[in-house]
Amino acid sequence: MGGATDLPPGFHFFPSDEDLVVHFLRRKAANLPCRPDIIPTVLLQHYNPWELNGTALQAGNQWYFFSHAAQSRISPNGYWNPIGADETVTSSGCIVGLKKTLIFCTGEPSKGFKTNWIMHEYHLQDGGYNVSGSSTSSSSSSSRKSQRKRVHSSTESNNWVICRVFESSCGSQVSFHDEGTELSCLDEVFLSLDDYDEVSLPNN
Amino acid sequence: MSISVNGQSCVPPGFRFHPTEEELLNYYLRKKVASQEIDLDVIRDVDLNKLEPWDIQEKCKIGSGPQNDWYFFSHKDKKYPTGTRTNRATAAGFWKATGRDKAIYNAVKRIGMRKTLVFYKGRAPHGQKSDWIMHEYRLDDPAASGDAAATVAAAAAAAASSDAGQEDGWVVCRVFKKKHHHKESGGGGGRHGSGGGGDGGKAAAAAHHGLQYSSSDDALDQILQYMGRSCKQEHEQLLSPQGGAGARAGPRYLRPIDTVLGGHGFMKLPPLESPSAALTPPHLSAAAGDAAAPPGDDLLHGAGASGITDWAMMDRLVASHLNGQAADAAAQASHHQLCFDDGPGADDADGLAFYAAATTRLLGGGGVGGGSSDDDLWSFTRSSAPAAAATSTERLSHVSL
Repeated sequence: MGGATDLPPGFHFFPSDEDLVVHFLRRKAANLPCRPDIIPTVLLQHYNPWELNGTALQAGNQWYFFSHAAQSRISPNGYWNPIGADETVTSSGCIVGLKKTLIFCTGEPSKGFKTNWIMHEYHLQDGGYNVSGSSTSSSSSSSRKSQRKRVHSSTESNNWVICRVFESSCGSQVSFHDEGTELSCLDEVFLSLDDYDEVSLPNN
Repeated sequence: MSISVNGQSCVPPGFRFHPTEEELLNYYLRKKVASQEIDLDVIRDVDLNKLEPWDIQEKCKIGSGPQNDWYFFSHKDKKYPTGTRTNRATAAGFWKATGRDKAIYNAVKRIGMRKTLVFYKGRAPHGQKSDWIMHEYRLDDPAASGDAAATVAAAAAAAASSDAGQEDGWVVCRVFKKKHHHKESGGGGGRHGSGGGGDGGKAAAAAHHGLQYSSSDDALDQILQYMGRSCKQEHEQLLSPQGGAGARAGPRYLRPIDTVLGGHGFMKLPPLESPSAALTPPHLSAAAGDAAAPPGDDLLHGAGASGITDWAMMDRLVASHLNGQAADAAAQASHHQLCFDDGPGADDADGLAFYAAATTRLLGGGGVGGGSSDDDLWSFTRSSAPAAAATSTERLSHVSL
């Protein structure tokens, strides 16, 4: 995984929403090279989610790729159905993107069967809205810069999306991040029991 | 700060440092021990005694992204020149070990051990527990210790003895802040209960969480360890003339054990670390505890001498004791699950009852004092418990996983 990087062991591609939008989607939309250039472009309509292996960037049990936003997200064996409300992606207080969550259903649109495959689809949010409401006078110089760059091709830039696909039965999307930073429940038990130790063990 | 060239972070966007335990041990710690250079110098050396947990974040920052965990190498120094304990005190508090060391395996064999520690602010024994947790990894290769033939056996032995043997040297540590999943068990406030049923209930509730979710852990080991601990306290209380204030009586009886066990022969007992331990259903009665108890009693009755209280040692002793008997029985019966009861069929309720009973004894031990014989210490692992400890639970000593 990772590819194209010569990082020592232990580094994993685990981008935040902000990373995806600011470092990848924005550059892609602005026709700037992504560093590292590891996320491929995939035509979503050609692949079922379980066929992304070897095509999209795999990181843990997640797959990442660029695609073009489409009204109907049809795949060979099914379609992506939006679920839940869109979320905003912010960077230093500014809304920079929109995150949609979709679920893959097999079969014909509107009468398919849900699967465990989930996709997060990120869109650029143009305009650099400030969360606090003070509109376009964005505090982030980088966002202003990229805005200017996108003047020419604003329709095109809106067209690119970056996607994260994962199977929700493989635990949550945070998979490999759990190891080590979670205490096992027994650890928790021992932690709470340690308190009692000291009641009767004053010289411990 | 650490990995940067000309002020630019070398970590490309989207990448985070989150090594697996195997990467930590087999790549980073091995290189460190062998004094080999590590790319990017990603894990720094830290003097644990001079660094408070809240300063670790800045010191061990990697890249520019948000971080939930921090890594460093630490060289363990002994607390006392002749002792085996590690000094993990800082200016503001100290790191205290909790639970039992966990063996770390790769696909082939055991590669190391993990110790879990909690940071307490202040000074023992009045420290206040914080949410800062440390996993301390040390290399521990059975092949390297010349015990390759008995990889499995070495696991148990290592759990008990490697602490003593390898208390100095390089370790690699991961520090993180405890997340609060459950409001019950997540209370890291460090306020101690004053004993009594209410607190027992709380601990039991926490224990119940463990029972619900612990299937993947080496839960059995840990429970045995916990029993060892309980037994230890029990023993201490029983021996004390005043009952509750048993701390002073402890050392007198602990000393001989310490001595007798100085060589680790005793601890090289068959293991309990079968990966399937928590999975398979058959039961076996731990009446085998009877067989294992007498030597322990003998040891405990050894001539008294004043000495240093090494509770960790005692912990390990009793734990390995229990492990030993269990493993013996397991070898005979080819069974994996342990059931401290005469009856078959364990369920969660009974497991909970076990914890409740154990906790009650832990807390209510003061009332037990005096008249009991040492055998009561071990009967705890079988079925009946003294009246003082008995709560509403019927089957007090039932472990279920």
